[in-house]
Amino acid sequence: MADSKDFTAGIDSNAKKSPRRIVFITRRTSAQVKAETEDQLQTFPEVLFRAAVAVMTLAVVLVWIALIFNAPLEGLADPSHTPNPAKAPWYFLGLQEMLHYFPPVVAGVLVPGLVVMALIVIPYFKVNIEADGLFLKDRQKRLRIFYVVASLLSLFLLLFKVYAALVPTLIMAGVMLVAAQSSPQSPSAFRRYLAGRPLSYWVMTWFLFELVVLTAIGTFFRGPGWSFVWPWQG
Amino acid sequence: MADEIKKTDDVNRRQFFLKLGLGSLGIAAAGTAAFAYQYLDPNVLYEPSPVVNAGKPDRYPLGSVTIDVNSGIYIIHSDEGYFSLSAVCTHLGCMTAWKPELNMIACPCHGSKFNEDGKKIEGPAPKPLPWKRIWLNDDGDLLVDRSTDVPPLVPDSYVRV
Amino acid sequence: MAKTVDQYLDDLRGTRVWRSIFRSGTGSSTLKRALAIQQNVFLHLFSTKVRTRMLSFSATWYLGTLTLGTFLILVATGIPLMFYYHPSVPQAYADTKDLQFVVSSGLFLRNLHRWSAHAMVFLVFAHMFKVFYRGAYRTPREFNWVIGVILLLMTLLLSYTGYLLPWDQLAYWAITVGSNIASAVPVMGEKIHFLLLGGNAVNANALLRFYVLHCMILPLTAMFFVAIHFWRIRKDGGLYSHDSEPATVRANAAAAAANAKEGQ
Repeated sequence: MADSKDFTAGIDSNAKKSPRRIVFITRRTSAQVKAETEDQLQTFPEVLFRAAVAVMTLAVVLVWIALIFNAPLEGLADPSHTPNPAKAPWYFLGLQEMLHYFPPVVAGVLVPGLVVMALIVIPYFKVNIEADGLFLKDRQKRLRIFYVVASLLSLFLLLFKVYAALVPTLIMAGVMLVAAQSSPQSPSAFRRYLAGRPLSYWVMTWFLFELVVLTAIGTFFRGPGWSFVWPWQG
Repeated sequence: MADEIKKTDDVNRRQFFLKLGLGSLGIAAAGTAAFAYQYLDPNVLYEPSPVVNAGKPDRYPLGSVTIDVNSGIYIIHSDEGYFSLSAVCTHLGCMTAWKPELNMIACPCHGSKFNEDGKKIEGPAPKPLPWKRIWLNDDGDLLVDRSTDVPPLVPDSYVRV
Repeated sequence: MAKTVDQYLDDLRGTRVWRSIFRSGTGSSTLKRALAIQQNVFLHLFSTKVRTRMLSFSATWYLGTLTLGTFLILVATGIPLMFYYHPSVPQAYADTKDLQFVVSSGLFLRNLHRWSAHAMVFLVFAHMFKVFYRGAYRTPREFNWVIGVILLLMTLLLSYTGYLLPWDQLAYWAITVGSNIASAVPVMGEKIHFLLLGGNAVNANALLRFYVLHCMILPLTAMFFVAIHFWRIRKDGGLYSHDSEPATVRANAAAAAANAKEGQ
């Protein structure tokens, strides 16, 4: 069929009239339908009932806890008397632990700000989308970068005596070294799994590990004057 | 075979669980409503006491009608003794005033007028000014309970000193 | 012949009043079930049908749904608590004590509110990590991930502003420490600190500002972003599963076909 149009289309300039929808179908194209290959279920009742059961279970658990344990309430706020230690809510205790080592600009502004920004940009980096195993490509070059970064970070933490953050960092570095020595053909399933983990996984797991350790220390191991105490001494 | 044995008013499994589930939710909803009502109904009020201390009786000479605008009552000393009227107009709650030149209690809002015994003379007020319980305490002070009404003009509604 | 309860109910459902309110009615046909979603102002955020993989518990542990559940519990307990709470100093502390000892069910409501708040912070972190490890932030879901980070910040702010409201030693000093960190921001720190507290110290102005933030501004903003978050999930094709993405399905089918050809 020739490319030239064998029709002319006119435009009606009467804006008050309802628009007509016209489809021009040429011989070369036809309506495309995306074939859906997956099974589908009805939202009501499948999704709604499962969601209702999940939320009801949660409600029962929380009600039960609320009936047994009381919310804390200390004495009236007294600006002239600071309790010792003065602790933030538990989800900020990781931050407060870091305040022990670094000035407020770093621990309170820089680090949280960088963390939030890092979280936001994760999906916009191609390396996170492709998500190939970190050491499966350019192994030598990446290992060198890894050694430099890990050493610098560990040295920095050692310098500031942030042992709480240093130990998880060293543990993660150790696991990453195991991953570097593994491949998809490794004998154990665990090493095969490690070999396939991408960079974003390592960074996030390191972050999660640090978060848990720092929060745990701030919660259980810190007493008056933010001194180190054992949990049973509290 | 099993179908023939089944009677027409048998409940099948689906209906049973439906009734059980809806019934439980209904009971939970009713319980929540009951507790919500109890929650919203205050157990403790931080309002001033209805009992007012009006001071010693000799503050009120014979024939006087004295208003206390802060507590909303009149202390009146008549021949029969001391008695107390509510100063709040029974129409829409405005504070009335004693007019000695007219010898009556008048409400500025809509023109209701009452005599010294609280009886309505004219105006839109539907009821007379109520008499409030008055008594002497151990110190010799006059006390008025604004939350208790007493019948007007009967001897027990007066305090004699 | 006497009518059964069910017959009376059917009569009720046939009346004009009933049918003017509930237009579609219940039923187990596909049409009725689809209408139950599509014609409901609250539920038509969902589509009437979903892919089977959306129901997978092991994929998400239903953490997003549970987070929303704690949020609803917090709203349902928080609003009644507002009936007995005066956000003034030192009345706030007396009111908190009243809620615990004098008000019927006050202790239960306060406890439930507090523990649900802790649960929500925990669940929102868990949800974030689960979504990350699944890779559910990949194209086209990037922006929904960003909305999720915003919701994480909203949750932390809600918890932080609520923490001050009992006006006890715990609350006062936790917020004093936190707001002093805000003043560490370079250049604007002192101004931020001043605006946040409505003054130079944590006092009556701070309590009122935190109360307004906690009860009005932050919940409305959070609900706004939650609506966008849910809408994006639907428009991005439902739950993410790497094996179910169309590109992967096609690639696998092509690879399988190629293998079959070689085998012949």
